[in-house]
This record gives sequence, C-alpha cells and structure tokens, in this order.
Amino acid sequence: MEEIILSINGERFSARAGTSIMELADEQGIVIPRLCYHPELEPFGACRLCLVEDEKSGRMLASCVTPVAPNMSIVTDSPRVLRHRTNIVRLMMAEHPESCIVCNKGNRCQLRQIAANLGLGPTNLYATPNYRPLEQANPFIIRDLSKCILCGKCIRADHELVVTGAIDYNQRGFCARPATVHDRGLEESNCTFCGVCVSMCPTGALSTKHFGYAGTPERESPAICGFCGIGCSLLMGVSYDKVVEVNPAHDADSINGSTLCVRGHFAHDFLNTEERLLTPMIRKQGQLTVVSWDEAIDLAVRRLSDIKKDFGPQSIGFIGSSKCTNEENYLFQKIARVLLGTNHIDNSGSMAGREVLKSIDERIGGRWRTPLSMLEDAESILVLGADPCHSVPVAGYYLKRAFKKGIPLILADPRKTDLVPFSSLWFQTSPNSDADMVNCLAACLWKKFSHDSSYIERFTDGFDMYCDGLSSFNAERLCLSAGLEMTEMEKAVELLKGKKTAVVIGEGILRQDDAIQSVESILNLMLMTGSIGRVGGGLFVLAKENNQAGAWDMGAVPDALPGRRPLRDQGARKEWERTWGTGLSPDPGLHLFRMVEEMEKGNLKALYVMGENPLRSFPQRERVRAALERLDLLVVQDILSSEIAKMAEVLLPGAAFCEKSGSFTNMEGRIQSFTNVVPPPGQAKADWDILVRLAKQMDANMQANTLDRIRDEIARSVPMYSRLNGRRGAAWAQESDAKGLPSPMKEGDKIPFFPVLFAKQKALDDDYPFTALLGGTRYHLGSGTRTEHSDRLSYFNVGGAIEVSLEDGKKLNMRDGDRIRVESRYGALEREICVVKGMRQGLIFVPTGFNGNEALELLDLPASDKTCSLENRCEVKIIRLDQRNRP
Amino acid sequence: MEQKEIDWGVLSSIIDKHKNRKWSLIPLLQEVQEAFGYIPAPCIETIAEGLNIFSSQVQGVITFYAGFTQEPKGKYVVKVCRGTACHVKGGRSILRFMKKELDLEEGETDSDYRFTLETVACLGACFLAPAMMVNQTYYGKISPNKVANVLAQYKGKEVER
Repeated sequence: MEEIILSINGERFSARAGTSIMELADEQGIVIPRLCYHPELEPFGACRLCLVEDEKSGRMLASCVTPVAPNMSIVTDSPRVLRHRTNIVRLMMAEHPESCIVCNKGNRCQLRQIAANLGLGPTNLYATPNYRPLEQANPFIIRDLSKCILCGKCIRADHELVVTGAIDYNQRGFCARPATVHDRGLEESNCTFCGVCVSMCPTGALSTKHFGYAGTPERESPAICGFCGIGCSLLMGVSYDKVVEVNPAHDADSINGSTLCVRGHFAHDFLNTEERLLTPMIRKQGQLTVVSWDEAIDLAVRRLSDIKKDFGPQSIGFIGSSKCTNEENYLFQKIARVLLGTNHIDNSGSMAGREVLKSIDERIGGRWRTPLSMLEDAESILVLGADPCHSVPVAGYYLKRAFKKGIPLILADPRKTDLVPFSSLWFQTSPNSDADMVNCLAACLWKKFSHDSSYIERFTDGFDMYCDGLSSFNAERLCLSAGLEMTEMEKAVELLKGKKTAVVIGEGILRQDDAIQSVESILNLMLMTGSIGRVGGGLFVLAKENNQAGAWDMGAVPDALPGRRPLRDQGARKEWERTWGTGLSPDPGLHLFRMVEEMEKGNLKALYVMGENPLRSFPQRERVRAALERLDLLVVQDILSSEIAKMAEVLLPGAAFCEKSGSFTNMEGRIQSFTNVVPPPGQAKADWDILVRLAKQMDANMQANTLDRIRDEIARSVPMYSRLNGRRGAAWAQESDAKGLPSPMKEGDKIPFFPVLFAKQKALDDDYPFTALLGGTRYHLGSGTRTEHSDRLSYFNVGGAIEVSLEDGKKLNMRDGDRIRVESRYGALEREICVVKGMRQGLIFVPTGFNGNEALELLDLPASDKTCSLENRCEVKIIRLDQRNRP
Repeated sequence: MEQKEIDWGVLSSIIDKHKNRKWSLIPLLQEVQEAFGYIPAPCIETIAEGLNIFSSQVQGVITFYAGFTQEPKGKYVVKVCRGTACHVKGGRSILRFMKKELDLEEGETDSDYRFTLETVACLGACFLAPAMMVNQTYYGKISPNKVANVLAQYKGKEVER
C-alpha cells in the first residue's frame, strides 16, 4: 500500500493512501471537532465543523471526507479555521431553540460541548429557531426535531448499520428534517425502536423517553446484555444505584459495535420493577415469610440433606439457567454432582434444540461456533428457518449489511419475515420440508459440477455414496414436495454455483421434529461446497438466550460434564473425579421434561430451580404445576416474583446480570467477562454468592468460595475455557483460535457425508387442518418474563396478534382485529388476528412471550422417550369468535 | 371532476420498466407524475419495493425536488415567473391579476382540478418578460389582457369537452 507523507500542525506523518485527514488525526491523537462523523458510518461531510486548512493551497477542507494527499501541510486550528468553525456553530445555535435547561441531553450535548470549547457564548445573531412539534407518542424515543442539526447520523445509522430504512431526509433547505414515510410518527412506521439513532444523536433532537427519571446519569459503566445469544456490549447509565439508561458501548471489537435492539436499549426497566425479589423467604404455615439469609440457606441445606438421606440422591433435581453466568452454572452443577451426587441437572437452553447441536458437535467438532463478522466475508449466504430480525436482531443487522454489500442471500422460510426484502431469493418452503429443499439444491448444484473436489478429497469421506443418494431421486418431485417451483431452484443454483456458502440456521430448523435430519442435509451441502471450517463459508447457529452455550459448556446438562465432555466417556469422568475428589455416576440424569414426569410419579422429591420459570417456559403448565405440587421441597432462586416463586418453600432473591460479576458465552463462542454495574436490590445477592453460601454450609471444605477461585477452577479444568480470567474484553472458547476463527480443517480431518434422507411427509389431519408456528418477536425474549416487567415495552402494548394468511383470512371471512380461538390436540388460546401478506396458506404464526406465554399451551410436553427439544409447531384448528366492531 | 383512483396497472407497468434499478428512481417518478398528474402517497411503498430501496428514500427524493408533487394538481398548471426581469416588467401585477382571475392563491388548485397556480423563481425566458407557462407552453410579453385571453382559451377547452 502506498504511503503518503504529509504534515499536520507542523509535525510530519505518513499515512496509507485513502485514509482521510480526520482518521490520521484521530490515530495521532490530534483533536478535530466533529458532529456528523462516526467511525462506523460512511463519512458524510454534512456539519463542516471538521474544517482544516491546507497551508500550501490555502484551501479549507472538510477533514472527514478529504483523503490525505502528498505534501499537504494541514493546520487544524489556524485563526482562519477557528473563525469559520465559530461561525458555523453560531449559525447552528441561531437555529437551535434555547431549551438547554430542560433538555435531557444536558452536558452530553456535543453541540454545546463544541460551542463551549470554542468559547462561544451568545451568538449575537438574530435567532430563527425552527420550531417543530414534539413527537413522543411511542414510549421509547422522543423526537424534538427543532434541535436537529441535520448531521444525518440517525439516517445513516438507520440505513448503514441496522438497515431498516425507517427514516430519511425530507424536504430541503430550512425545512429539511429526517422523516418517516408519509411523515407519520415512528410508531406508525417500520421503525424497530432499536434506539441506535438515539445513541448517535449529538444533540437533544432524539432522546430516550424515560419513565420516572429524566436527566443525565451520574455515571456510565460497561456491561454485557443479558437478553439474546448475541451478548452485546452495553454502557449502562446509573443514577442513585439504579440503571436508568442503556446505550451500546461503541466498542469496535464488540459484536454489536454501535448497534443494539429494542430489548437491549429499552427493556432493562425490569431491573427496577416492584416485582423484584428483595429478601430471602421461607414458607411458614403455608405463608412465605421474610427471614434472614442464614435461616433460609440453613433450611434449604437441611431439607436437601434430609431428602438425600431418606430417598437417595436420585430424588433431587436441579434446573440451572441459560440466563445465569458460566461461574454460577458451573457451581450449580458442581453442587448437584459433587455435594448431592445427582446428575439430574438441566437448563432451559436445552429446549431450544440442544440435541441437534450435540449432533453437529459430534460430527464437525466446534466448527459451528463462528464469529458473526465472518458473514461479511461470505461468498454466499443461505438462511434457513431463522427470523433474526426478531429473535437475535444484531445477527439480522449483519445479514442485511452483507446483502447490501452484494453477497447473494437465499432465504428459506414459510413466512414472509423482515429479512425477505434483503434476500436475493426467497423460498417459501412448506414447514418440515427443509431437508427436501436442501437435498434438491445439493442435487442441482452437483449436476452443475458445482462441488469443491479438492476439499471433498482432502477432508471428507463417502462422497460417492452421497452422490448415489443424490442421483437416486427425482429433483422435480422433491422440489414440489417442498412447495417450490423448479425455476426457483435453478435461480438458487445460479446464485450459489462455484461459491462457498455460509449457512445461518435458527429455531425453525432446530425445533422441528426432523431437526437432525435437516441439519445433516445442510452439513452435506456444506461439505460438498467446501464451506465448513473455511473463510467464505461457515455455519452460524442462532441462540435465543444469552448464556445458552455457556450453561451447556459448564455442564448444567444431564449428560455432559463441564467442557461438553460426555458423561459416558470414562476418561472424562475419571478426570473430573480427580478434580472434584468424588465419584461420579455414569448414568445421564433426567432432562427437563423427564423431571416433570418423575415428579408426577413421586420419584423426584426435591427440586432446586435457579433463574427459570417452568410454569411459563414449559408447555402444559397445569400439568407442570400439579407435578411441582407433589414435591417435598421446592427451592427457587430468582430475580422476579414469578409463578414458581410463589410456590417455593425456600425463596432466594438473586441478582440480574448487571448486578453481579461473571461471564457469558455467546453463540459465537465468545466468552465475555463483566463486573457488576449496580448492587443487587434490597438484600438480594449475586447468584454465585448464594451458591457459595449453600455449598459452604453443605461442605465446609469447599474450595471454590470466591468468584476468582471459581474462575480459576474452571480455567484450570476446562480446556475450552482456559482463557477465562475475569478481565473485561472477550476471550474465545479454545476450540476456536485466538481471534475466534473456527478451527480450520487440518490434514487428516475426515468428515463423513451423511446418508441422504427425505423429509417425512406428515399425513394431514382433517380435525386440525392448520399448522401453527410459534416464535418470538423483538419485543419479548423467550417466555417474556423479564420483558413483560419492562414498563416501556408493556406500555407499547404490541398485542401479539396471530398472523393469518391472506387466503385463509378471505376464506374464513376474517379481518384484522377479529378474535379467534386456536385449538390444538393439547390446549387452546384466544387472541386477535392480523391478516398478513406472504404467509403460506394453512399456516398461522403465534408470537410467544405474550399473556404469560400462553402460546405454549398448544404444545404437548414431550414424552419421556423423546429428546428434550421442544418443537415450535403443531397442528391446530381455528374457531372464529365474535366479530365485534363489524359494520 | 373527481380525484381519480390510483390505476395500479399503470403503476406496475411503469415500475416493471425500471425494476431493481436503483438509479432509475427519478425517471420512474417522472413517469408516475406524468401518468397521474402527481405522485399518490400509496404508490411510495410499491415503488420502493420495485426498486428494492427504502420507502423513506423514495419519499426523500419526492420531497426534495420541487418538480415532484404529492398533491393532485389541476389539469393546467400555470407558472408565473417571479424572476428579476419579469418583476421589472410588471410581473407582480400579472400575478395579482391571475389570482383574481382564477380565484386561487399561490400553490392552490381549484376544487374541480382544472387549474393550479404556481410561481417559479425564474423561467429562464427573461427576454420574453413578463413570462408565464401553462403546462409545457411558454407565454411571453404578457399583459393582463393577454393573460385573460390565454386563460379563456384553456377554460374554453374545458367547456367544449
């Protein structure tokens, strides 16, 4: 790369060609004021505050958009520059309303800061404030466009980072302002309320709407978001030991950079809800009574030991949490396995298809933990059964950006998701036909000789057998059974031909009946095109909960020890027996749903639940409730007064993620350590602290009794986590290399192709002619326990209407707002509907997380011989209820 | 005359000509305006989908250019020049006369969508000052008398039909 020599303020620097003057100045620590520049956005040159002077030519240059040129002699603060800069700020201020005293941007206003630095007080100009009405109909963002300085950051963040396109400049000259389509309120536009524009806005034109508190936070501390599997870096604003504001950390190395989603930005209200548990309680004469920590822990330990003595260790079950930290889950399973001697431990992350992930793990090792940033280098992208714009929005941003960059993106989903406008091709597959679709695609590609022969030869086994499988069926028929046209398939082949493919899969794949088979067909396709373990391809599995991966890594599962070592592996067991100085049973414990069955049978006498609410996240809650009532002892450790907390005999108030220290492992395998931002409320304690107290009470010799010691023990004994050290910043799970790149394929690695199988055609059920798909929306996470307690989200009151296809709407004569009853073989629910374009006929979509997550009533509790995965679909019938509001 | 319903067939045939070509936005909008007389608001989403750009961007372009309008306009758009040359030659009295004659203020359209009265900064026909335009036709060296004649001509056209 060509180096260019120039001078800034008399000092000589060399810079790469193409660098802007501002970038060079920033690298060298030379301060140039700016309002419209942001390192993650394309330079725009709107505010002109970054003007500098080239002494040689005498020209004034906007340094953010001017590339360095040889022999420039730049001065950043000559009298001429300062005069111009001051005048620009004066003009901005003349147009700005004098409402600083009530503006909640306060001293963080960059216009104000720059004016102060220039020593600018009164402008001595005729003030022409551009008054605009305040827009604050939505509960998240206040728009006061009279304070807008037209820097365009909000618009560029919207277009370039989150790629939503809700706003753009409207009008011109003095009237120009950012506006939505038809200039309506944000709540009537396609705005997703990610709030990125708010955290970018240099003035008070966009600000967070606060409930209760309005003002500048006293301090800002870094944290890791505790909602979805992305694990965004946050900056939490704190006043009076309460989190009052959340912003992205703007950390270039973080996964989210300057972006966040509506949950990350606005859903943290739940931290300050009145429903928080503040004191330990035990049940006395049927009533939960406040007691001291010692008394509560004492009772829990005594009762657990009694039950162990009377009925044996197999009568005790533990449910850990995919929302708690690695350290807590490690300690939790250690208490279960070592101190009580049971393998009955699981966490709710297992419901989201852990069996499937396990099978991927067994076949291709850790090569599916891929950093999302690798999507930018993908040669082509295939998204299957995933709705990232709702489930894990930041992954959605990555995909949308990749498409905008020109990477071909093929989407297969029965619903018209928000990603459809960002796809080169959308396969509207019928549910449960993913395997057929992928096999058909593979066969077509193979016929076009679009396979990577050298990769296949070096790293795979059984390609001949696979080819036989592919040639054994009629592609057209398969295509039809997936509900697709052959012409679409040919278009897809044109897009994918000769390219490696990055594959993104979500709940739609992981939570179907034939998940493993679908995943195998996907892996086959990836092996054939040389897309596994290579830049340009990669498998991306979207995780719904923040520490789903970590809870599994830490062994909070019935069949694996920490480090994902299988319990039946004798070597692994021996190692852990040595580490812990105790014997371990080789028999896998009960998974979540089998625990329910054993409770019903009366075999499971005691249950310890940490950070989970089975009465909300399991199907068939009445059955679960009845099972829980049969327990002798129920210990609940949680942050909110949930349905299960009300049933507990011992109730221990824990801490939310920003009230404690620890680490989370996100879906990429990025281990992110954090320290607490605020103390837990009331007498509540960090969950690891509670567990340490409990362990000490059970065994005075317990070594791991501080967070550091727990961490040391993990880092020492779990090779994947050897880099865990508690320092802020990401460490990567060791199965990938230091930068988180997936371990490349090595010579000698041979991954076998899997037999080609076809999707089982389910016989149609005349009694239940519709298929209901269950899935999350961006306003609720998982079962919605925390998001429901968030004031702003519940004020926004998105109803969770059931989506019905246009055709079915017409056939049943239903319109938006009509109420229907949806009945499955197992349960029913009633809600409003909305008729949507692009939905497959015969399909309805039921958003989860609403009304106490009643959507799960439609599902059955999986039978004991089944895996722990919970399907996200079921057969239903629709009954029209009254049609009020009809003319 | 009633305001017409949007003819979606016409719209989609215009969009098809420009499909997926982002740079085609302005010619497309010009064609839409030609066909409908204005750019009806409900078209914006359809146009955006056709070109695969954001609806907000389409609206941004429409509102930026004075040449595009989201309001239905009259069949005859009268533009009176307010340039310096026209002003010196009595353009102001022409405008005043025009307002009285049409019973419209600047920027207004009459209720039966016949006439729209607009002013422009300069028509670029200073040698014909004072000047005005009706749709694509220039009228130079106008006087109130001539204006009355021209308007009568257009009003007459309406009566004939």
